[in-house]
Amino acid sequence: MQFPAVRALDGVSIAFGEGEVHGIVGENGAGKSTLMKILSGVQHATSGSLILDGAPIRLTGVRDALGRGIAMIHQELNLVDDLTVAENVFLGRELTKGGLLDRDQMIRETQKYLDQVHAAFAPTAKVGELSIAGKQLVEIAKAVAANASILIMDEPTAVLSDPEAESLFALIARLKEKGVTVLYISHRLIEVCEICDRITVLRDGTWVESLDAKSANPAELARLMVGRSLQDFYPNKVSAPETPPILEFIHVGGASLSVSPGEIVGLAGLVGAGRTELAEALIGVRPIGAGEIRVSGKTVQIRSPKEAMEHGIAYVSEDRKGLGLLVTLSVVSNVTMANLRGYGKWILDHKKEIESALAWKKELDVRVGDLESSIDSLSGGNQQKIAIAKWLETKPKVLILDEPTRGVDVGAKREMYNLIQHLAQEGMACILISSELPEIIGMCHRAIVMREGMIMGELKGASLTEEAVMRLAAGVEAA
Amino acid sequence: MKRSNLLTEYGALLALVVLFVINVVTRGASFLQIENLRNLISQNAGVGVIAIGMTFVIIAGGIDLSVGSLTAMCGAVAILLVNKLASGGMGPTLAILLASLGAIAVGAVAGLVNGAIISYGRVAAFVVTLGGLAGFRSIALVLGKGGEIRSQVQGLEDFGFGGVAIPFVKNAGGGPVMFYWSAIVFIIAALLASFILNRTRFGRYMIAVGANERAAVYSAINTQTVKLAVFGILGGLVGVAAVLEGARMNSVGTGSVGLYYELDAIAAVVIGGTSLRGGKGRIWGTVVGVLLLTLISNMITAYNIDTNWQGLVRGIVILVAVLIQRGRKENE
Repeated sequence: MQFPAVRALDGVSIAFGEGEVHGIVGENGAGKSTLMKILSGVQHATSGSLILDGAPIRLTGVRDALGRGIAMIHQELNLVDDLTVAENVFLGRELTKGGLLDRDQMIRETQKYLDQVHAAFAPTAKVGELSIAGKQLVEIAKAVAANASILIMDEPTAVLSDPEAESLFALIARLKEKGVTVLYISHRLIEVCEICDRITVLRDGTWVESLDAKSANPAELARLMVGRSLQDFYPNKVSAPETPPILEFIHVGGASLSVSPGEIVGLAGLVGAGRTELAEALIGVRPIGAGEIRVSGKTVQIRSPKEAMEHGIAYVSEDRKGLGLLVTLSVVSNVTMANLRGYGKWILDHKKEIESALAWKKELDVRVGDLESSIDSLSGGNQQKIAIAKWLETKPKVLILDEPTRGVDVGAKREMYNLIQHLAQEGMACILISSELPEIIGMCHRAIVMREGMIMGELKGASLTEEAVMRLAAGVEAA
Repeated sequence: MKRSNLLTEYGALLALVVLFVINVVTRGASFLQIENLRNLISQNAGVGVIAIGMTFVIIAGGIDLSVGSLTAMCGAVAILLVNKLASGGMGPTLAILLASLGAIAVGAVAGLVNGAIISYGRVAAFVVTLGGLAGFRSIALVLGKGGEIRSQVQGLEDFGFGGVAIPFVKNAGGGPVMFYWSAIVFIIAALLASFILNRTRFGRYMIAVGANERAAVYSAINTQTVKLAVFGILGGLVGVAAVLEGARMNSVGTGSVGLYYELDAIAAVVIGGTSLRGGKGRIWGTVVGVLLLTLISNMITAYNIDTNWQGLVRGIVILVAVLIQRGRKENE
């Protein structure tokens, strides 16, 4: 099987000055991570060049990058929890004396680095016992120990409390004074404007603009990040009937999510905003927390996807291969998996299963030869259709679609949009989780925007614009 | 189908056929004697019945190391019960029947306990059943006071060597040749299990849970019940195997019965082409695996090879089977 290569970055050219804190912002999928991977040696650029101190370089790997003074602090920290701080700092380049580990020397050295980053814990502390902020300091101490002159930080404040973030900013300022260049990736536009010297905006893998932080403001950044017009790509919206909601989630704070039959409600937000988690709470695979679920106005307890199904709620996972489908099983088995009871209490009527799969194949125009072949042999778009068919089989009243167009090609995307709208017109209540703003704007009657696990607000009609969603998603303003 | 796929798909069956032909050529009539062929099926019927249950457990993504010890425990229960019932004045047939049901029930309960700890307690199957491996043997030894428990009911041995007369065949003395009950039970269990695996809702759920447990949960399947059930079924089948063994020996040596059965059963399942990672398997393969292992030990006796070599030969067969399985994964 071959997938077409996607050009993640195109024509991006950025200069980072010594001792500069350079913010990099963009929507999900704008190419920030790819850029960082290329800069830190994880990935090679297919074309283009990297110039360090005036000389072109070619990084062969992370170790090579580190040797040249480029260190990356990942979002998921790469530390070994069971080892001490000193052991982590010297992991892979342990100091030895006469063939044995020189523990005392490593602890002394580590203490020196910890002092530089103002860490309050001892070199002998177990990393697993430190807070997230503490672990981040260990990562930075590691970079300092490696004498890094360029430090790349990917969403460092995403996991920190406000005071912890403040002390991180102070540390960045001190590193800057020593001449360290910091590349700072963040979704938090306010802090980017505050702590950076320059800011680069990426969109769809291309460079949009690099601007002075002094002249930038969060609203302007949000506009630059989105800045594209809605293509004529989505089916014309059909207004939803005014009916009472079939499914409601009411959070204690008063924020709520509701959807009525025939309505398409978008669930927008940045990656990690808690949209999938909310959907999973609605189907009972994680605790609902401080809130309640109402189906047709009645409060219900949902403890498993089975109970959710009994209430008419179906969830098509974003993780198609991991959770949505059983990839080693046949197309037929996948179609009937959630509704097997419909094919026999004990003994399965396999003929009926095949007829059903055939009917869905025709209805959804699934391109598949042998229905008994493993579903792994289908393309992403066709797999997605089967994943949806599997839930339509259960005749749900509410269909939650989590990133339904991820990993499918453009043609299949269009088909997916038409299908979703068709379902809504037939009276299905649809919740569409998407990180692609045009999809939310183009498809949904209303959109709920989430940020850090909280529902930030609801947008509809003329106020449902990409910039408005982005402002709520990035926390620039509250609705 | 490519030739390499044919080999990986039917490798165990092919090996069985090849060994069979070698035996026919070198041993001729003595191998083809109807009694000998019958023994091939019935000799390891106990392990066979357990291996069938083990196939379910492994397909559902589990493993059970406790089956050998559980065989001893159920066997001890069966013999003690039959003696007790018969000494109380009950007729031998009814006593044997009730004692058998008792042993099967004990096995099923033990299996359910394993399954409950694994699925509701979320403890690894390997660890839980390792505990069973030690624990059930210990209970068996306590029941047998560290030694052998003999049956005092004549009917039990009659059951062990009874069966259905094979038509048109007479033994050397002119009497009928019996197709033992143990072989019949083995065959029925295999047919039933094959049907359950391939044709029922429960069978499909088993495959789904083993293929990807979380995805199965997301497909509105009650995975905990499925896991509980496969361990319960295996436990019940271990009880059946214990009755067959006890009847054949007319006694149960609590320290020796069922020793290494877990390894033999798992080996048969793996040789038969069921993936140890779960989600994929077949009953007929397990039956072939059991027959292959039986034929190998049969040959070692027939060719007067030092029986101490048996373990090594089995080890090699298991390794080859796993290597072929890995080849299949890469082909896909």
